[in-house]
Amino acid sequence: MTAIVTVRDLRKRYGDVEAVRGISFEVQQGEVFGLLGPNGAGKTTTVEILEGLRKLDGGEAIVDGIDVTKESQKAKERVGVQLQQSAFPENFTAKETVELFALCYNVKVDALALLKQVDLEDKAGQKQEKLSGGQRQRLSIATALVNRPRVLFLDEPTTGLDPQARRNLWDLVREIRQSGTTVFLTTHYMDEAEVLCDRVAVMDHGQIIAMDPPRTLITALLGRGFSKPVIQQQANLEDVFLDLTGHELRED
Amino acid sequence: MAQALRLTVMYFRAYLRDRTAIFFSLVVPLMLLLIFGSLNLGAFGKVSIAVDDQANDPASQQFVATIQKIDTLIVTRDTADSALAKLKRTELDMLLVIPKDFAIAPARPGQTVPTLTIYGNASRPQQTSVGESIINEVVTRLSYAVNQTAPIVGLKVEDVQGVRLRYVDFLVPGILGVNVMQLAIFSVAFALVVDKRRGVLRRLMATPLRPATFLASQVVTRLIMATVQVLIMLGVAVFLFDVHPLGGILPLLLVSLFGAVLFLTIGFALAGWAETENQVPAIAQLITLPQFFFSGVFFSKEASPEVIRPVTNLLPLTFLNDALREISVQGATLWDVRTQLLGLLVWTIIGFALAVRFFRFERF
Repeated sequence: MTAIVTVRDLRKRYGDVEAVRGISFEVQQGEVFGLLGPNGAGKTTTVEILEGLRKLDGGEAIVDGIDVTKESQKAKERVGVQLQQSAFPENFTAKETVELFALCYNVKVDALALLKQVDLEDKAGQKQEKLSGGQRQRLSIATALVNRPRVLFLDEPTTGLDPQARRNLWDLVREIRQSGTTVFLTTHYMDEAEVLCDRVAVMDHGQIIAMDPPRTLITALLGRGFSKPVIQQQANLEDVFLDLTGHELRED
Repeated sequence: MAQALRLTVMYFRAYLRDRTAIFFSLVVPLMLLLIFGSLNLGAFGKVSIAVDDQANDPASQQFVATIQKIDTLIVTRDTADSALAKLKRTELDMLLVIPKDFAIAPARPGQTVPTLTIYGNASRPQQTSVGESIINEVVTRLSYAVNQTAPIVGLKVEDVQGVRLRYVDFLVPGILGVNVMQLAIFSVAFALVVDKRRGVLRRLMATPLRPATFLASQVVTRLIMATVQVLIMLGVAVFLFDVHPLGGILPLLLVSLFGAVLFLTIGFALAGWAETENQVPAIAQLITLPQFFFSGVFFSKEASPEVIRPVTNLLPLTFLNDALREISVQGATLWDVRTQLLGLLVWTIIGFALAVRFFRFERF
């Protein structure tokens, strides 16, 4: 396995606040890597440095062999980005939005094929501002794929989505991973990390406090003698919700 | 370059779909022109003047007959007292009093010259100044005739212009200027503040797209819009109101676009400064409203209080309107209005510096 993202002793401060305090990790090519942590832990800052949107104060960040501080333009060409708030220019249709981003990367794409990949081909001619939250997240992923990125960064991709849209997005992430793209995501939903991520790093107060596959972390916790009252329950409320309302995506 | 061009095409297409933007950049300017142009089309074309002929002799009658032949003047006979009352009610533009000692003869040394008195209507400075210049011209001609001298400087051009100036001729360049200002400041400030606040600009900056390319596409989109706006307005002015821009359409368009560039820099500075789109109208009005009234859009800037004129004469829109008006009404060339263009250039540099200082792609 080879590392596609390498971070060494990364530091970033805003005024008096040390947002990231010397973290180091590697992301392996082809895996889904999750950066977990409560709000304000420093996840977004870390991701935005890797995306070339922020300057680091110390340490080193390398993406696909490129130092993001020294060659941020070149690094931007290699990665796909979904920001926490996905907003696009108004009065652009979904198809035009994809074309706009292709133009930003100066590449040619089959916009319809990309929209089909994210299950939006029937919304191609619709203005992007008329799309639902889940649809806009999927459009956002389509725009992040126009340059065939080596690494796809997803910053809290399912925040605010209904259970159907969340599951649909998980399927999409799995497909993207299957096509060979490395996925780097942040989330504060532990179920999401558990089902999607090959490895997770847990971040708090600007530091990484644990990093391993989810299973390993759980086993280690149990090994330390952790137990919680076990209620034998073959289903939870979300299962009930999905059973009642179905798995099909809703168009709101 | 090809990238910037294609980006411009995409943004322009989106702009055309924005009904609000179209309304404010095309419909509102057209309404302004139609309303103000037609409101005053007849009334402002002529200058109504009352004559109190206190001399009432052949010389004065000849003088009155001369001014009665002038097309622009509507001449009525009245007494000074009654006419002054009408002036106060704005039923008249001016009153001309011909004194008892009026004569058309060379003055002997030591003799006082008969003095014509003109009372102007201060609320209609445009009419008053046109009327004054006509009377002045008639008197000058009479003096030349009596003294058997030829004018030192030919005044024919001045005469023709003074007589033909209608309100709509005066109005059109002002309307062009003010709308270019509104379009440039508002469209850029609103759109970019919204995109900034919603994170659109940030998302674009996560791609390798160069900021300069993006900004160029935004500027060119607005300049195309301004061109369309100016041409439509000039079209209406020429075909509906029979306005004939003496200096030609192209110089008017070029100067308008220069003005648009200047106001775009202010729009970008404003877009950079404002955090939310709610702050935009307040500040934009603060910038545009004084210019709306003091830069000679609907009435001559000479109508503004004298104390503030040193300031109002330096406003960006004043330079723009003066240049446009001289080109349109007096047939000035670009070289003739170089002072105003220099003023615009200075403002553009100031605006550019402000834009560079304030405009950011992010909120923080």
